[in-house]
Amino acid sequence: MEKLAATSPAGVLLDLSGVLILLLAFACLGSKLFNRYVAYYGAQSVVLSFAAGVAAWTFHSVELWILAVLTLAIKGIGIPVATRRLLLRRLALARDSAISIGLSTSLIVGGALTAFAYLVTRPQLLPHGVVAAAVVPLSTAVILLGALEMVVRRHTVAQLIGWLIVENGVFLGAITLVATFPFIVEAGIFLDVAAGVLIMVVFVSGLTRQLAEASTTELRGLRG
Amino acid sequence: MTVLAILIVAGPLAGPAAALLRARARAAGVALAAGGLVSLAAAITLLAMLVHHPPLTGGDGFLYVDALSGFFLITVAGVTALAAFGSIAYLSAEEDAGALSSFQVRLYFAFFGLFASLMLASLETGNLGLLFVLIEASTLASAALVGLEGKARSLEAAWKYVIISSLGVTIALAGTLFLFYAGSALHLASNQRLTWPYLLAHAAVLAPQPVRLAFLLAVVGYGTKVGLAPMHTWLPDAHAEAPSPASAMLSAALLNTGMYAIIRFLAITQARLGAAFPRAVLLTFGFASVVIGVLFMVRRGNFKRLFAYSSVEHMGIIAVALGFGGVLGLYGALLHTLNHAIAKAVLFLDSGDVALRYRTREAAGVRGLLVAVPVTGGALLFGSLAVLGSPPFGLFLSELTIVRAGFARSSPILPLLLLGLLAVAFIAFARTTAGMVTGSAASPAAPASPDGSAAPASPATPGAPVDPYRGRGARWAAAVPLAAGLVALLVLGLWIPAGLNTAILHSLAVIR
Repeated sequence: MEKLAATSPAGVLLDLSGVLILLLAFACLGSKLFNRYVAYYGAQSVVLSFAAGVAAWTFHSVELWILAVLTLAIKGIGIPVATRRLLLRRLALARDSAISIGLSTSLIVGGALTAFAYLVTRPQLLPHGVVAAAVVPLSTAVILLGALEMVVRRHTVAQLIGWLIVENGVFLGAITLVATFPFIVEAGIFLDVAAGVLIMVVFVSGLTRQLAEASTTELRGLRG
Repeated sequence: MTVLAILIVAGPLAGPAAALLRARARAAGVALAAGGLVSLAAAITLLAMLVHHPPLTGGDGFLYVDALSGFFLITVAGVTALAAFGSIAYLSAEEDAGALSSFQVRLYFAFFGLFASLMLASLETGNLGLLFVLIEASTLASAALVGLEGKARSLEAAWKYVIISSLGVTIALAGTLFLFYAGSALHLASNQRLTWPYLLAHAAVLAPQPVRLAFLLAVVGYGTKVGLAPMHTWLPDAHAEAPSPASAMLSAALLNTGMYAIIRFLAITQARLGAAFPRAVLLTFGFASVVIGVLFMVRRGNFKRLFAYSSVEHMGIIAVALGFGGVLGLYGALLHTLNHAIAKAVLFLDSGDVALRYRTREAAGVRGLLVAVPVTGGALLFGSLAVLGSPPFGLFLSELTIVRAGFARSSPILPLLLLGLLAVAFIAFARTTAGMVTGSAASPAAPASPDGSAAPASPATPGAPVDPYRGRGARWAAAVPLAAGLVALLVLGLWIPAGLNTAILHSLAVIR
């Protein structure tokens, strides 16, 4: 465990990855092109798989190497390619116009949420001995930013990306528990995410075929 | 015992198997119902054994069944059996009317079985992480059921359901992580550190702040699945748009699975932080849900939405009961879970029958059920009375227990408030269903809007019911689960079987 202290090279690399993942979540929040959403999400997943690789290298764990490769293959390559092919290109999506608050306002709110994440998960609140404690507030902030993205964007595809960012944030938190988090659980989470994206893609394309544009602003039939 | 646990989970998989063999609706439905009955029988046997034996454990803590899981297993397996029976008649009628293609029927049975099986499995695991994985997977399987009809409205409901629930459950996973951080003082590098019994036994060494955060995140996260306000927004849409037996599964099985997860977190939090904090949280969310549920029940319209808001209300009552705490409160919460599950399964199955006959889901389009279709009308009447907590049905007993638990606490304000809300709920709910049940059948009331679960097969006059079933067998298959559910509710209202009583008391020992 002490191999991942904040001063060790592995700990520094892990912290650096956490910061990069947070920055990419901000980048996604500050963009209004569907292509960019997917690109930033893909990059975020690649950094996440790098972080998993660092942890695997530190702990010499075969299971973690498998997880790192799975992250790269499914989240870094599979999901971005599938979203581009099945949603963006087929439905000819380019600019996201269904944004409820301005980009700069959402960035400011995002900054406030990041500060809040640090407030809630101050290292001194966490018990001693947590590996790479700096990653915990970072992952909390990424979760909040993803949720913010889901709230301020009304388009179904943007909400899908927001959920995936939340999921990446949780996974970043889980990596710091590498030594003890059971492999079956992590693999199951992967399976859920992949299946979730598949079923959401089916719904989004079905909805788009029926409505002119699958924007949740038009999803107003069910109320009360 | 392990064999029984496997049998419980494997039973509903008869549905997907039948779908793979390209069975038609009736055959697949019979297979699914048989599977559901096998599950139920196995669950009852298992719970009877658990009363005398220590909890069933295995697979490094991944398999863990104690009396509490056994109790919820019976509830979910019972609902599965009822809803599977209801599926025989409902799906055959939809297939015969051409409202659903044979591919959609096969999809239905495949995902129904998968959904039930995943929920039952999630009740059998002791590992918090695996619990998340299974509950999220069951969300995805049930989302396919909600969106089954493929129309814009059902796809919209399915999208709303899958995105809100997935986000909620992911938040619960974050809560699970914090619970895991809280235990980092425990030096144990094995899967045990993420299991209920281990965390509960070592609650004293958990760090308090992360436990607090974990409980809040778990209540918000799994509360999304339970339908606690204000996270309930997906619930009425999903319940209204899903095929009726699937709505029964959502309301009576899925919501309870979420509540089970919350109860597990509650046990650990109580052991570490004392009862005050978790009780305050549960009372807040519980009363918010009761108020929201009751307010939206006042609106008259789609009767499936009415039943859905009633579910929000009842889940709120269960959360309030957990918040009142004590032996009485917990006993009431568990008893109410079982009673509500049966009553709501009956109501949703009955709503499917009504929707098939009138081809509308609007209450205004249905009148004089008791005269036109006595079986359906009678089930709706007695089901409504039961779900509203009138004697002699089981919900009267459980609600009385919960209110008594409230008075056993110091302040009488909260139980009085609960009683007042229940009275409003009674008026609001009965106003709509009484209008559907009574009146003369012949009055040609026009349906309020062409909501239509499908276009009418024949140009029947609006407001006049058609018989959707072919043959006596289908008619019986539609009536049997309604009668079985009502009889069970009546029995539970008059007399709690000694075995059930022991089982609930054993479950309480796990929580307290």
